[in-house]
Amino acid sequence: MSKLTNAAWLRNKRWLLVGLFLLGLVCVAFTMNNQRFYRRPIARVVKVTAVGHPRRTSDQFKNVDHQYDQRIVAVMENGAHRGQRVLLSNTYSDSRPMDQRYRVGNQVFLSQVRRHGRQLSANITGYKRDTVLVTLAWLVVFLLLVTMGKAGAWALTSVLVNALLFVLAVELDLRNNGEHIMGIFSILTIIFAFVSLLLVLGPSKKMLATFSATVIGTFAALGVSLLVFSWTHQRGIYYESMQYVTQVPRPLFLAETLLGSLGAVMDESSDIIATLFELKQLEPAVSPRRLFMSGRNVGKSIMGPLINVLFLIFMADTFTSSLLYIKNGNSWGYTFAMNMSLGTVQSLVSGIGIVLAVPLVSAFGALLLGRRS
Amino acid sequence: MTTITALGLVLMVLMILVGGRQGWSAFLSLLLNFGFLYFAMVLIAFHVPPLFVTVVTGITILAITIFMGEDDLRTTVTAFYASLIVMALLVVFIILVEHWAMVQGFGTEDSDDLEGMSILIGISYLKVAVTVTVLSTLGAIAEAAMAISSGLTEVLENHPDISNPRLIKSGMAIGRQIIGTTFNTLFFGAFGGFLALFIWFAGLHYSLGTIMNNKIFVAEMLEILISFIGVLITVPMTAWVMTRRRNHLADGHDQHE
Repeated sequence: MSKLTNAAWLRNKRWLLVGLFLLGLVCVAFTMNNQRFYRRPIARVVKVTAVGHPRRTSDQFKNVDHQYDQRIVAVMENGAHRGQRVLLSNTYSDSRPMDQRYRVGNQVFLSQVRRHGRQLSANITGYKRDTVLVTLAWLVVFLLLVTMGKAGAWALTSVLVNALLFVLAVELDLRNNGEHIMGIFSILTIIFAFVSLLLVLGPSKKMLATFSATVIGTFAALGVSLLVFSWTHQRGIYYESMQYVTQVPRPLFLAETLLGSLGAVMDESSDIIATLFELKQLEPAVSPRRLFMSGRNVGKSIMGPLINVLFLIFMADTFTSSLLYIKNGNSWGYTFAMNMSLGTVQSLVSGIGIVLAVPLVSAFGALLLGRRS
Repeated sequence: MTTITALGLVLMVLMILVGGRQGWSAFLSLLLNFGFLYFAMVLIAFHVPPLFVTVVTGITILAITIFMGEDDLRTTVTAFYASLIVMALLVVFIILVEHWAMVQGFGTEDSDDLEGMSILIGISYLKVAVTVTVLSTLGAIAEAAMAISSGLTEVLENHPDISNPRLIKSGMAIGRQIIGTTFNTLFFGAFGGFLALFIWFAGLHYSLGTIMNNKIFVAEMLEILISFIGVLITVPMTAWVMTRRRNHLADGHDQHE
């Protein structure tokens, strides 16, 4: 779309944006005052006192840490005791891996609210985080619509639709007890690609070409990787190190990898196809060979940055647990194997998909557009 | 041969076949990024301040990703400056958000994996969480900056006399073309890793309220949302840097502008 229509879009939609801004404020305000909708008891910290002296802890790996005790007075925000004071105690450490240091104004979830004489006491089970999440989501939506206009609205729609489809697929997978996970997520991958491209590119020949290329590229990468898996007998892949596993790990991992690489392959395919269509428009008699070479040229300059995007997303997630492994006296090699090997495999498989897509998409575009009529 | 080595070799061969010399340097950049990421972790394990490690590693990774991905100096230097500014802004923003959200370290869902581990390691997990979030957004920032910057270089080559406001407008127009697919890349990249966790949540019937306040879920969501924000500010920032840099070029033979 041209710049002009976008400026017009922004002007026409000014009131929509103002409305969106206000709606965001309302949403954030709601999450700050939505305690009555939670079944779990919530309290707001009003007073914090440090108790006793810091305790020094150390382990056999010579890690030194300090623990501190807090006595907290909070006011119940929901339930039968609403408005009453509750006494809490809390312990936190310097490193704070699973504990928290609470401050005045924090909202916390409680369990086992009980009465000692006239005084309520309870245990803290967690920190209330919905306000942060909603605020940031709103910031993204607002920035997106203000800077990107209509294109931003479509991008947002496609992300939301995909999130919904994703949740539905997870439900479907659970109904089947995880038995057909590869089947479900392979079909989902195809639907994802179709819906996203339809929303981003609109219904056109261009969209169909990008879609076919994306699907072929993604599955070709999975095929090549499965071949490599079977040649090397999956040596060095530690499925047991996978996190949050409640189903058979291997198909789950493959489904994760398939989904993970889809976005990047789609990104690349649409860039290449867009360039080829542009070329065809400028020079209707262009030969398939020329188109193929141009496609390859576009592809080879984007594939590197794209692989790095996914690589950093996959690897950064393994950072915290790797650090813990190192600090627990494990060797660098064992730390890598137990934390980073799956992320590395995921990056490599996605990388293969991204690279394979370049010639596939170029050839596809060349055949589609290069015909002499 | 382990599977990782074999997959790495396959990737290397494919990248060289498809991209030639450029493919080889892109593969090299991947290896170097891995090295620096691992090195950053080791440095933090040796109690080097995480923020310092984050900034140094961040700059290095941006430089590797940008300068090894493309040869044209006007494109790369502009993209590099723009992504440095964006990274600086994001570091401040991420520190604020992480302190507010308190999603550092591990959640109760990690308990099984942590069994037998000593988790009190004396290094602030909050600072490590900042490192993780910054590093995970860098790839997206570098990619967006490169896309805008190379598009604008193209514009400048065809219309050397274009005014600065028009140049910024062109940058935003290129941004609109890439934003849909870039968001999808980030969304799928992150949700791919999310799948197991989602199945866990759904299988154990977590309520919406529980999920919205869950430490791991919020941490992952913040990572996606912050990389969205990073990409969104990269677009105008790169266009702006290009207006500043359009006339003083890094290499002498391009003086005909």
